[in-house]
Amino acid sequence: MSSTEVWPPPAGCDDARRCILVVEDELLIRFMLSDGLRDEGYHVIEACNADEALTILETAVPDLLISDVRMPGSLDGLELLKVVRETLAGLPVILISGHLDPATAIGDGATQFIAKPYLIETVVRAVTNVLDQAE
Amino acid sequence: MTSTSPDDPIPSVLIVDADIISRHAIADYLRHCSYAVVEAATIEEAFVALQEPKLSIDVILCDVSGEGSKSGFELASWVRANRPDLEVKLAGGTEMAAETAAELCESGPHLRRPYDPAAVIDYITRLRASRRA
Repeated sequence: MSSTEVWPPPAGCDDARRCILVVEDELLIRFMLSDGLRDEGYHVIEACNADEALTILETAVPDLLISDVRMPGSLDGLELLKVVRETLAGLPVILISGHLDPATAIGDGATQFIAKPYLIETVVRAVTNVLDQAE
Repeated sequence: MTSTSPDDPIPSVLIVDADIISRHAIADYLRHCSYAVVEAATIEEAFVALQEPKLSIDVILCDVSGEGSKSGFELASWVRANRPDLEVKLAGGTEMAAETAAELCESGPHLRRPYDPAAVIDYITRLRASRRA
């Protein structure tokens, strides 16, 4: 958030910036990914697992959800995707995994799939494409 | 924390809070005060952050009511023994964490306290109130 913007913002994802919910259980990856997206001007909410993501989705509807697939907790990324498709069908979802077959991710409803390891530039490009297509 | 000049590296705060709503709100507030912020949901994640050379943490703001197998007090004890250069601020709940964040803003990179901590509490309250049943 720029220091010239008003704080506190409207609750949830209602400020002027595009809002991205990042779900990743590995702290360093979550930090690097979120920080890279903030540098691009996005409002990023960080969740360490699917349960936290669902808590946020009860309060706000982001413009995009980015989720790892293999995560501890009650749901993994594919199960989170299934819940999102049942409750927020139009929400774009980018799945990230080092193990999953891209066809499986897309077949299960992901908007886009990114394989690990990845460059932050790859994610930024994918985010731009997905958000542009969602408009 | 002492004042900084524009050439100094951005001070970094590690916020440890198991409640994503208050963690996100307070982290956003600190970012607005020009801090770099690392968010940890558990004490275990905090230890990962502290042992990661790429993350240069200056201050830890920890909710001592956090979940996980280790407590905030254990974290503070570890820091005193292993990283005495770090400042640890323990907060017993959201209001104290918001007040501590406001104090950090006042003494931080821009030497200002732009918003009353009540604004942080109000923001968190609005977020919680907007949760769908």
